[in-house]
Amino acid sequence: MIEFLTIPGVILIAGALLLPFLPAKVRPSLFLVFPLLALIVVFTRPDGYSVTGTLLNYDLVMMEVDALSRIFGIIFSLTAFTAGIYAYHMKELGQQCNALVYAGGALGVTFAGDLLTLVIFWELMAVSSTWLIWARRTKETDGAGMRYLIYHILGGGLLFAGILWHLATTGSLAVETVAREYSVANVLMLLGVCINAAVIPLHTWLADAYPKATVTGSVFMSAFTTKSAVYVLLRMFPGWEVLAWFGAAMAIYGVIYAVICKDIREILAYHIISQVGFMVCGIGIGTEMAQNGATAHAYSHILYKALLFMSTGAVLYATGTSRMVHLGGLFKKMPYVFFLYMVGAVSISGIPLFNGFISKGMTIDAAGYAGNETAMLMLLLASVGTWLSVGLKLPYFTWFDKTDNDIEVKKLPVNMYIAMGIVAFACIFYGLFPGTLYMYLPFEVNYQPYTIYHLVEVIQISLLTFLGFWLLKKKMAPEPIIALDVDWFFRKAAPATRFVFVQKVDAFYDRVEDGILGIARWLTEKFRNPMKWLNPFTKDTNEASSYSPSMEVVMSFILFSFLVFAIVYLL
Amino acid sequence: MKTIHWIILGILFVITLGFEFTVLAGYDSHWWNAIPAFYALFGLVCCYAIVYVAKFIAKNIVNRDFNYYD
Repeated sequence: MIEFLTIPGVILIAGALLLPFLPAKVRPSLFLVFPLLALIVVFTRPDGYSVTGTLLNYDLVMMEVDALSRIFGIIFSLTAFTAGIYAYHMKELGQQCNALVYAGGALGVTFAGDLLTLVIFWELMAVSSTWLIWARRTKETDGAGMRYLIYHILGGGLLFAGILWHLATTGSLAVETVAREYSVANVLMLLGVCINAAVIPLHTWLADAYPKATVTGSVFMSAFTTKSAVYVLLRMFPGWEVLAWFGAAMAIYGVIYAVICKDIREILAYHIISQVGFMVCGIGIGTEMAQNGATAHAYSHILYKALLFMSTGAVLYATGTSRMVHLGGLFKKMPYVFFLYMVGAVSISGIPLFNGFISKGMTIDAAGYAGNETAMLMLLLASVGTWLSVGLKLPYFTWFDKTDNDIEVKKLPVNMYIAMGIVAFACIFYGLFPGTLYMYLPFEVNYQPYTIYHLVEVIQISLLTFLGFWLLKKKMAPEPIIALDVDWFFRKAAPATRFVFVQKVDAFYDRVEDGILGIARWLTEKFRNPMKWLNPFTKDTNEASSYSPSMEVVMSFILFSFLVFAIVYLL
Repeated sequence: MKTIHWIILGILFVITLGFEFTVLAGYDSHWWNAIPAFYALFGLVCCYAIVYVAKFIAKNIVNRDFNYYD
């Protein structure tokens, strides 16, 4: 039992259960204790450590530690901690508890040694994160939250169905690499996980919901759902070639949409799809170097993406809007946020000395070393788009461009700056000392990021992309528009679907109900006075009650006949 | 952007070209290493391609008013 309570995911969920009983003042501070406890557990548990239990007839491995789960455990705990600092000023109990359950779910998935434990934590993540969207309490977020939830229920359902099928065919519940064949079980599980990894065309929940989540909620969201899915893909589906192509395609898809979008948080949301594309591509390539690259990139990505969502969240908090058309010229009003944002922006763009450089390069080179030069060039193309949209377009049209923007800017809480500072420091630290990250990777690292070739490559690409941006920036100027995505098909189909599956079904039930009531009414009327049936000469005006003595005789006779018949039959 | 900024960026670019044609002259791990200043060209061409493709998609297919779904 004590061991059960030391599972990192359980620590955070227990924390969420404890928070409502504590005074509001101490809650934000105590929030930070649970991720720290989880971090201590992650660091102190050796490889091969496990916590087991039984549920019904199944032996569960609720926690299992190895190099891969440890590195994801570290970054999930760290992010829950820094996001907790970022949200320190936020006093809303619902958001605090759900954020902890959400982080706990991600940690639970990471350390789950069996598929049943995994799917339980998986579903917990889906439900708790939906709260972080609904917590903004607008009509728009109500709809987005519902679409998000439905998508994740579908994903969770597919995964669970796949797990049950897998159990039925192999008899195994272990979280392990599955045979590389397109069996029903494998395809169902892969589809379920791909929904959470936002693999196109199953990605729209992300671009729909993340920009609409609360300022603090989107920081948590940027870290956990997609990256825990990346972890499961790494664990179960490394080397599935289809993933390499889907990954490369989503890397490009994300950046094209990031150039189209005009909402700063939507741009970042599409960039999650793009960056997760790098990881999915690495997993699909499947060599040790590619898997290391995907893992390292997930680690780096969680850090800089949290920083980017924190700084754009700060802009939203301060100005009340995230639409570029209302922003611009904020440099004098929010200079520190700009510099902190730029640390994240150059990190995601893979600029040398920042943490994106040490992990993105590894993933791209892994594609090249594995002989897949097409995928390598696709990822390089996506890198150009990343620098173009997150590194140049977004900051230019948010902090510069206009000089006459008189938008009111609210003062930011100090804790926001502290959180952004910590994460920015981590981005630079890992960029300068890549060995501190590489030592935790699942396979031995023989990769040197700071080579002259690599530096020349990145600097040339970045410089000329910058030139291109400068010449074409007017084409990317803010406009008051939204960009449709493939969710258009089901959002537009929603009224028709509702008509067929809800209104038509409702009408059918109504008709059946009317019919049954009609029959009941008819029968009641007909049987009000059975004497009319037994004696055709009865007058219509006679009431049944006046016949009661004779009725009793008739009924008694019928009953008696039944009794006699029953006795004769049974004997 | 002031002129000095462009000059700094220009110098940086020339330095990378210098490395490419000296230290990395014999480097050959991909077919494109034979193309001089490939990564610079790649950056510029891709930047133009992404912007124009995105603009085309935006204009003709996906851009709508804010209240489109309302």
